[in-house]
Amino acid sequence: MPAVSSGTKYDVIVIGGGHNGLTNAAYLAKAGKKVLVLERRHILGGAACTEEVFPGFKFSVCSYVVSLLRPEIIRDLDLPRHGLEILPLDGTFTPMPNGDHLWRVNDHGKTHREIARHSRVDAEAYDEFGKAMQAMCRFVKPILSMIPPDPATLNPKELMKLLFIGRRFQGMSSEDKYNQVQLMTMSAIDFLDQWFETDVLKATMSASGIIGTFLGVRSPGTAYVLLHHYMGEIDGAFRAWGFARGGTGAISNAIADAAREAGAEIRTEAPISRIIVKNGRATGVALTNGDEIYADVVSSSVDPRLTFTKMIEPGHLPDEFMEGVNRYKFRGSSGKVNMALDGLPNFKCMPGIGAHLRGAMSISPSVEYMEKAYDEAKYGHWSSHPYIDMVIPTLTDTSLAPPGKHILSCFVQYAPYKLAPGLDWDTEKEKFGDNVVNTIAEYAPNIKDIILHRQVITPLDLERDWGLTEGNIFQGELSLEQLFFLRPVAGWAQFRSPIKNLYMCGSATHPGGGIMGAPGRLAALEILKDGKGA
Amino acid sequence: MAETRDVIIVGGGHNGLVAAFYLAKAGFKPLLLERRAQVGGAAITEEFHPGFRCSTLAHNTGPLRADIVRDMQLEKHGLKLTTPDVSTASLLPDGRALVLYSDAKKAAQEIAQWSQKDAASYADFGTALGKIGKVIGEALLLTPPNIDSPNSGDLWGMLKTGRSIRNLGKKDLYRVLRWGPMAVADLVAEFFDTEPLRATIAARGIFGTFLGPWSAGSSLVLMLRAAADSSPNPSPAGSVQFPAGGAGAITQAMAAAAIQAGAEIRTGADIAEIRVKDGVATGVVLTSGEEISARAVVSNADPKRTLMRLVDPAHLTPDFVQKIKNYRCMGTVAKINLALSALPEFTALKAKGNGNLLQGRIQISPEIDYLERAFDESKYGNFSRQPYIEITVPSLSDPSLAPAGQHVMSIYMQYAPYKLKSSDWESQRTALSETVVKTIAQYAPNLPQTILRHQIITPKDLEETYGLTGGHIFHGELALDQFFTMRPLLDWARYRTPIERLYLCGSGTHPGTGLTGGSGANAAREIAKALKK
Repeated sequence: MPAVSSGTKYDVIVIGGGHNGLTNAAYLAKAGKKVLVLERRHILGGAACTEEVFPGFKFSVCSYVVSLLRPEIIRDLDLPRHGLEILPLDGTFTPMPNGDHLWRVNDHGKTHREIARHSRVDAEAYDEFGKAMQAMCRFVKPILSMIPPDPATLNPKELMKLLFIGRRFQGMSSEDKYNQVQLMTMSAIDFLDQWFETDVLKATMSASGIIGTFLGVRSPGTAYVLLHHYMGEIDGAFRAWGFARGGTGAISNAIADAAREAGAEIRTEAPISRIIVKNGRATGVALTNGDEIYADVVSSSVDPRLTFTKMIEPGHLPDEFMEGVNRYKFRGSSGKVNMALDGLPNFKCMPGIGAHLRGAMSISPSVEYMEKAYDEAKYGHWSSHPYIDMVIPTLTDTSLAPPGKHILSCFVQYAPYKLAPGLDWDTEKEKFGDNVVNTIAEYAPNIKDIILHRQVITPLDLERDWGLTEGNIFQGELSLEQLFFLRPVAGWAQFRSPIKNLYMCGSATHPGGGIMGAPGRLAALEILKDGKGA
Repeated sequence: MAETRDVIIVGGGHNGLVAAFYLAKAGFKPLLLERRAQVGGAAITEEFHPGFRCSTLAHNTGPLRADIVRDMQLEKHGLKLTTPDVSTASLLPDGRALVLYSDAKKAAQEIAQWSQKDAASYADFGTALGKIGKVIGEALLLTPPNIDSPNSGDLWGMLKTGRSIRNLGKKDLYRVLRWGPMAVADLVAEFFDTEPLRATIAARGIFGTFLGPWSAGSSLVLMLRAAADSSPNPSPAGSVQFPAGGAGAITQAMAAAAIQAGAEIRTGADIAEIRVKDGVATGVVLTSGEEISARAVVSNADPKRTLMRLVDPAHLTPDFVQKIKNYRCMGTVAKINLALSALPEFTALKAKGNGNLLQGRIQISPEIDYLERAFDESKYGNFSRQPYIEITVPSLSDPSLAPAGQHVMSIYMQYAPYKLKSSDWESQRTALSETVVKTIAQYAPNLPQTILRHQIITPKDLEETYGLTGGHIFHGELALDQFFTMRPLLDWARYRTPIERLYLCGSGTHPGTGLTGGSGANAAREIAKALKK
């Protein structure tokens, strides 16, 4: 491999080869910029990576499903040609302790009948709810592709953006307005309570409102995140949720491929020690091996705490900005348990191998269960009865495990990054993993007999190994005060920073986390806009 | 058939009285009908034990809006407000107390004993709250704009507020945007290191709500409180004002002002129904059978009571009924009043001179987690076994409330959820009172021996005796989704209802933040305008 001479100068250096960093690089390279991506780990993808953790078993180690990847990115970067293939994830299966279950699938009639089994009223309401949510998505969707306005300025261009949102809001029916306002402000449960009476239905639906946040299903502000569940559907590009063939790493690799094709250079195992700042301008980066690489622009896809407190020497940034950075909340709340299996789990409430194993399986039996899981986390304990969202991707994509074997990928919440005094994650780690297995065993007792290997990822691991501060999977909480023009710091939501030529392009910027790619794309567009003026 | 009255006001709570006054001033002849034997609603003083009188429910003013006090000349009508030296004494389980003074300098001195940095932050926080509060205060005066087609008056009002918002400067503007949806526990942590100080201030963001300090949006409640605080330098812990004679003295003065302005007040007039004909309110029917017709009906009762019970919901569209049903109105507060043979001795305050320090609010809110745990229990339908408590001893500043040497203690207890999971309030009444007394006794061990009488008011009592649906002292949850243009419902925040000539003027309308009179005054302005057309 030809060593990058420290004398080469780039137009843009992108820090971090996660999906946003790669998207950022691909857009910039396509616009003709000379781009270098530097990734600390040995593989690309950040939290969207596939790794062979145990021989023959390939895991989507962190992020494991996809729904939000922006269709314009798929189109612009021609990702299917670079190997992206999304396989459908059909439905959500919720086992219940009383031996019953709730199983929603993409087949409308089936789901209707299934919900009607629990409540006729809810079956009717479910259709109405779906329609209402789609109307909400239509309102929110353009905002995801928008550079957040700065409401504190008098610049007419910024105010026009606010006006645009205002007009769209005005344009909705009063029914939709009512829903939209509620969605932005209420708790998931308060919102769902207005539509449904079946406890398990509300519990499972509310789960999508808390993923990755340090909030409970009864916390105001969680209703908004419910929208994400509906966002994929209306784009028409793919189904609501899906797997990438080859794991989520395949998405990152497709984007990386597109970037390389456009001329971007990508280096792994290239950890950065600092961003070089001269006269208030970013001029390049220094690697931990001492190399210095120069560029006109530095675009950081790592979170603001890493970027501004670890990679920039003190004194370059104004106090007020640093106050905002230090206040930005991470508070990781989830962990991951990946298992290599010798067979398939056998659910007490639906024995045998069936289609219910092909979708998501959700341990979210009641609203109280969900809320109690949160209560424990508030005081620094991982939930003894956690919310678990599991998938068995090998039923859809056989390339991930040896024949006859499977992988089970479990997203577990709550696992608070900050544990109560006297506890630490390194000693809690395996206990946490055991608890997940025990929890699943309550519903599928054979699980204990079929586990070949187990990988436990705690919030501390996410921080140490993936560079996600405090283990937050979205690079910062998706709470109302950290969204849109407040993300990550009020007044600095337009991907720029107080240091000239230093940009942010990760999930900590608008519109936030998930395998969406929007921050990387929007930041690239801003960088190109500034470049034109210069 | 009797004459047709001008305007009937249903309910003589403080907002009803304020509305009656302003409508009378505007040239109408309002007739106010109160179900109970005395006006005042939740702001009343009653004798609950021979010789012992207490603010039965509210024991502190909101504070009252200064322009209302002025317009109604409440002082001339007998209202005397006092501001105690100590605003809040916050008790800790280890026997210490954090004492906050009404005077900013003294407050800073006290806090400096805990943390120098916090003493400085306390002043900064107060200034920021004052600046932001002033701007929000302007919005509290406004009738929320019509979302669909704002009229010129709306635009003018918004423009003025918009300009003040811009004048805030970038830093404070972002603060308004950022703070609103935040958890109050996060907000206080940004300013203070001292746990009891954090918790004591955070308590303002949860009082009367179904929120814990870690619930998003609790900062908004704190900001609304600060905005209602008309003092130029509001204390972060909230200013404290006591009316001599208890909260009833406020509404008595209001009633006198309303009568003088030309309003008529009838007590013991229980309304069975608001009459509606062809979508227009035409008057009321009393439980006695008496019918009174009127050009307009203004309801001081909460939105649910007004639109689901007093009005036959058949007059409303199913869609609207559904929304009113979903209006969140589950109370979390209980009230306990004690007649005491002597002033209890608070361990933490003994060394500092008990009596003086008891003149303000006495709070049991020692740490954020304590408050959050108290909230946790209520989520599952139990009342808190270690509750958040706010106490006043009004007989210290007004000895006329109790026989010489004896006292009354007024206690707010939170959380006491309206809906209990596996029990009902009648059977839990004693348990509630025991929990409260036991909790306070941890800080004032001789309290139980001094109790002559308990008056226990559960959320159920708040509903049945005082007409507060769901026992909610604010006529509905104060939350982001039920605020400003959304109080009580989006598109129905302008004191009107889908029934023509039926208006709302209670706390279930904007701004609705407690004993301020704001809703009544705003509503009267809109109603007068509408009726003069």
